[in-house]
Amino acid sequence: MKKHLGRALTVLLGIALGAAVFTSVRLSIHAALDSFTRSMDVIAGSADRVMVQPGGRVPEEWVAKLMQFSVVRDVSPVLTAYVRLADKKSEPFLLIGLDPIMDRSFRKWQFSERTEEDVESWIELLKRPYTLIIGKSLAEKYAVYRGDHLFIEHTRQTAFFSIAGILSPGGLAMAEGGMIALTDIATFQELTKLYGLVDRIDIKLDPNTTSEDLDHIRKNLPDNFQLGAPSAAKESGQGLIRAYQLNLSILSFASLFVGMFLVYSLVALNAASRRHELAVLRATGASPHFLFLVFLAEGALFGVMGWLTALPISTILVKYLLKGVSQTISILFAKVQVETLSLSPWEILLSFAITVFTSSVSAVQPAWEAMQVSPNEALEISRHGMTRKTSPRKLVIGGIGCLFLVVPLSLLPGILNMTLPGYFAILFLFVGFSLFAPWSLIQMGHALSPILHRFVGIPAYLAGRYVRDSGTRTAVSVGALITAVALFASLVIMIHSFRSTVELWAHQTVSGDLFVTTKMGEINRFRYPLPRTVVDGLEEFSNQVDIVPSRRYSLTYNNFPYEFQLLDIHVFLRHGDFVWLKGDPDRVRTLLKHGKGVVISEVFSNRTGVAMGDRFRARIESSLVELPVLGIIRDYRTRGGVVFYSLPQFNIRYHDVPWGGCRIFLKDRTKNPEMAVASLKNEFIRRWGDTLEIISGQALRNTILRVFDETFAITIVLLLIALAIAALGIATTLTVLVLERSKQLNTLYAVGADFGQIRSMILWEAAFMVVAGELAGIVCGFVLSYILVYVINRQSFGWTFLYEVDWGALAMSLPLIILTALAAAYPAIKMVFRESPATLLREN
Amino acid sequence: MAKNNNRPVIHARHLTRIYRLGDSEVIGINDIGLDIAPGELVVLKGNSGSGKSTLLSLIAGLDRPTHGFLNVADHNLTQATSPDLTYFRRKVVGMVFQSFNLMPTLNVLENACLPGLLAGKSADQVTSKAMGLLDWLGLSTRWNHLPAQLSGGEMQRTAIARALINDPDIILADEPTGNLDSRNGQIVVELFAELNRNWNRTVIIATHSDIADSVASMTICLKDGAITDQTCDI
Ligand SMILES: Nc1ncnc2c1ncn2[C@@H]1O[C@H](COP(=O)(O)OP(=O)(O)OP(=O)(O)O)[C@@H](O)[C@H]1O
Ligand SMILES: [Mg+2]
Repeated sequence: MKKHLGRALTVLLGIALGAAVFTSVRLSIHAALDSFTRSMDVIAGSADRVMVQPGGRVPEEWVAKLMQFSVVRDVSPVLTAYVRLADKKSEPFLLIGLDPIMDRSFRKWQFSERTEEDVESWIELLKRPYTLIIGKSLAEKYAVYRGDHLFIEHTRQTAFFSIAGILSPGGLAMAEGGMIALTDIATFQELTKLYGLVDRIDIKLDPNTTSEDLDHIRKNLPDNFQLGAPSAAKESGQGLIRAYQLNLSILSFASLFVGMFLVYSLVALNAASRRHELAVLRATGASPHFLFLVFLAEGALFGVMGWLTALPISTILVKYLLKGVSQTISILFAKVQVETLSLSPWEILLSFAITVFTSSVSAVQPAWEAMQVSPNEALEISRHGMTRKTSPRKLVIGGIGCLFLVVPLSLLPGILNMTLPGYFAILFLFVGFSLFAPWSLIQMGHALSPILHRFVGIPAYLAGRYVRDSGTRTAVSVGALITAVALFASLVIMIHSFRSTVELWAHQTVSGDLFVTTKMGEINRFRYPLPRTVVDGLEEFSNQVDIVPSRRYSLTYNNFPYEFQLLDIHVFLRHGDFVWLKGDPDRVRTLLKHGKGVVISEVFSNRTGVAMGDRFRARIESSLVELPVLGIIRDYRTRGGVVFYSLPQFNIRYHDVPWGGCRIFLKDRTKNPEMAVASLKNEFIRRWGDTLEIISGQALRNTILRVFDETFAITIVLLLIALAIAALGIATTLTVLVLERSKQLNTLYAVGADFGQIRSMILWEAAFMVVAGELAGIVCGFVLSYILVYVINRQSFGWTFLYEVDWGALAMSLPLIILTALAAAYPAIKMVFRESPATLLREN
Repeated sequence: MAKNNNRPVIHARHLTRIYRLGDSEVIGINDIGLDIAPGELVVLKGNSGSGKSTLLSLIAGLDRPTHGFLNVADHNLTQATSPDLTYFRRKVVGMVFQSFNLMPTLNVLENACLPGLLAGKSADQVTSKAMGLLDWLGLSTRWNHLPAQLSGGEMQRTAIARALINDPDIILADEPTGNLDSRNGQIVVELFAELNRNWNRTVIIATHSDIADSVASMTICLKDGAITDQTCDI
């Protein structure tokens, strides 16, 4: 091993990078998942059921009414909203309104100082309006103490609160990473003007409650109220985060996978260069199994050392990833606030096991070859230049078999929201293509050798012959390259398709010159309607602008969270459009305007199974909506799916809903629309700046695309790391090939080759491998991109995109990959004749 | 090619090769003076480690002396540049090795052709020449076999074809029978003798056995890197 120190370190670095990426991806998503779960748990408390009104709120009188059911032990009304510090324009944090006495059996909350002051804090919260108890993180972030005042801004009002106490970490104080505040429910209602209403009522039941008892309660509730499980939101959030975790884990595993080829080439070099020694060992009584285990152990050792080396790299990487990952999760799936990195022993064990396992697996083939060394070789002269090969034709048949499996596997549905069959399809795709490598090298050698000889010269010819006949070794590095290039090409295609579809969607569906919502509207899920004065005031502008009012409800459909959006479809369709996936757009538009049905997003359809022609059913506040699905549209808004219906028609057919927000289109776009939008925005801000959030459509769409790019930044970083490891792999393989053949190269020199010929031969070998790997990799990448778009994304996130190949990026980057790979041949070329060719004459 | 029988084809003075291994020095050959006339069949004898291979590698242009002077077939190898040496290896010497050193991915014919192709000769010309050589060596039916499919004797004969393809004046063989049984060893030695006799090649065979003694026209004994006058007792 000492002889190959440089290479051993390269291999170690490769494994370490792979392991570090894998470990830190796992750890950071795990931390996010953990903090999400914890936060959901402590906010849900120990409730058995919650009573809610979908899309609306619950009248307070139900607190008393629920207590009349014999199986109901305790109840606790809860209200929550995101607020911020008005003077500090802080990040929004969660304000929870509850009844301190009723809530005691539901949630644990302790004060930081366990003194008499606690009791006082407690009593103060009960007695004095506009008092708060805040989480420790919040207190520390804004350096506030007991007795200080906070100027708190809510969508509807801004008010002074005094701090009655600070919660110590633990229990409820851990929700949202400690960025929370508690206040008495009456104060909350006054601040938010939700007099007599609560968001939900948590219920504790008698342990012996039967399902009949629950049905009895349900029967006595009005239809528009639901008695749900407190964990529904948590489970759907967890499901999404887990799918994301799986996707990123697999992508980060690609780095480890490419690293396998590194281990392979070094262990194989060791086995080959110690072949004689092995034969002697065998002759002196070592069993084949022993040799097998020795080399397997060598692979495992690389795994262990690589993993240990990965630890310091991980600690750096994980910080970066934690930020990126939790941001992505917050935007895409569920709000998470990760304060601490919880080191899960299970995750650490997993990354250790996977690292050691993969590097051991990569040693299996060389170990197996070592096992085949016959004791006779100790006596014979070394004749092993040619290792007997598995027939490439057999491998091709295996490859075809694998490729055949890809199709049915990618057609299988996901398991528990996890696209496991899809990932197996990808695995088989890679294996299938890699099995083609030896055969295609032979074909290429056959086809090219004569041509090369004639037109390019003897070095290219020799290189072609070597690559053609060298068997497993070169084929394996080509396999590594196929994997890396396929990954690259498919991700380029996928991200490009995704982005251009999102761009189209943002352009058509998120159209509008100005978007008006209430302050902190989005984070509070648009639950507070626009004030009447604003709606009336906006009418004054109706000669200049078209106004599309909307109302958005966050609901769930069989536990799947989605948004029910009411929109003035008529006006909207004058300026914008949906991105149609199914249904005849012209027909659907007309029906939609007349309120004859809804259009649902692809995500909603895929996740709930509701299809074209089915009936969509939902309870929205006091109404039961039941409408046919007219069409399916593409939609890339985050957190689940979306269902659109006409707002005016809803008002006619069901009940009157106030505007939650609106978008505004200029009527006359001929002269300087930017200026007109800007002056309109200024006017709105002047009038209603303290209650509204006003953002220009352009800015909103830019934000959407920025978020998109940020989300994929992690993917791209992971991809680049995998490519870097692949480059290390090529460099190592080529140097190994040179070292292994030093005798052959010296012989070539002795029989009349000059240095230039030998170097160009090696460069040609690299070129063959790179070109073969790249060609096969691109083909594989195209197939893979299909699987990514139509299987993995569909099953993980419910959406697909318009397939669009980014020829430009591919045309630019693929030659770059070739160049990089050829540059990776440099150490190999340097390595030739580091020792004098005269060593050729030193036998044994 | 006109031969000047009076001028030695190999002419060495104070030829020395010292290997440096870290701080220590190992003497390969030390202060050798040598003249070999064209058309000799030289057997280079000596114990293991006596410097036979070192001397051959210098004569073959694979290595450079530490001091001294070496001229082979009118090529001053002490001052040769790298392109000079390449030319020299292509045109002047042919090498045969103990363990044959055939290219495992090339067949018999391709192995035999290799030096010709490397020297830039046309494939047709080289191929017909190689077929002639293989015929002479009794390998014409095996031309498309890979080295792994040959016996040791066949491999060594292939290597001899390879050494002859560029018509070198000098054949250098390092322990050419070392990996062969005595019958095959005898055949190989016979071939070298025939080359020397009928084709007028200068042949140098390094060996520590006495298998080639009977065909030698000149014997050089090395001991500890220097030529000794004593008889070669190995
Ligand atoms: N590359 C080298 N580095 C260090 N020492 C070397 C090297 N080549 C040869 N030597 C040393 O030079 C001396 C002569 O070696 P050489 O190989 O020429 O002997 P030889 O007569 O060919 O032996 P053998 O019969 O075993 O082949 C030996 O002591 C050897 O150890
Ligand atoms: Mg020797």
